[in-house]
Amino acid sequence: MKRRFSGTSEQTEINVSPLIDMVFILLIFFIVATSFVNEIGISSTYKDSASPNSSDLEPLTFDLTSSGQILQNGNPVSMEEIAPIVVRTDRELSDKITVRVEPGSRAGLATQVMDQAMRGGASTVKLTALSR
Amino acid sequence: MKVTHRRTTDKVDQEINVSPLIDVVFILLIFFIVSATFVSLPGVEINRPRVETAKSLQRNAILFALSNENQLFHGGQRIQLEEITEVIERADKKRDKPVIVQVDQWADASILAKVVAQARKSRSKVSIATRKPS
Repeated sequence: MKRRFSGTSEQTEINVSPLIDMVFILLIFFIVATSFVNEIGISSTYKDSASPNSSDLEPLTFDLTSSGQILQNGNPVSMEEIAPIVVRTDRELSDKITVRVEPGSRAGLATQVMDQAMRGGASTVKLTALSR
Repeated sequence: MKVTHRRTTDKVDQEINVSPLIDVVFILLIFFIVSATFVSLPGVEINRPRVETAKSLQRNAILFALSNENQLFHGGQRIQLEEITEVIERADKKRDKPVIVQVDQWADASILAKVVAQARKSRSKVSIATRKPS
């Protein structure tokens, strides 16, 4: 009687190993498939609607020519000079900076100019294309 | 008779109880299913520009890539500049994902400016992906 009882209890147990196998495979699939794209970068989060105060002021602008030259008010400047120029400029002007790029100029240089401007304390850098 | 009985109890003792394991694995599975955000990668090799002031960007974003041949990619396909708005609307109807533009350092900066301007028409947060200077 006792033996028979233990025998039936063994038979009623569901074999869970295939279930565990499948769940593990699904788990691994979802772990692998959630590709966390970890990007670092610069955001040009400028506001389109400028306050009426700053609208009459000409924003600090850097021009990037196709030959790789950086111009500020028509004067050529080097990459290292950008941050000091931004620091020197009036706070209201230096907060918003425009980088104008000529067609044919390198994106690597443009991002470097934006980077240097941000190092100088600019919070928003706008990237616009110059039409030739 | 007594021996047989003892053996069956031994056998039952030897089995590991797997139910807590299954519970934990199921919870993990459900977590990963729910948190799975399938980001469609642009699918081109991009040599990102090196930038010092780079900040960590939001993970769940709509990605565009501008290759060194000035071609725009999204989700492994070449797209035109005018298609950006449509692609963004299709990729994210809830309007909360930011846009990340992966740009090659040899790409044309004026095209990058146009891409950013076009993306900004539909999303307020547009970032340029870079890498840390080594």
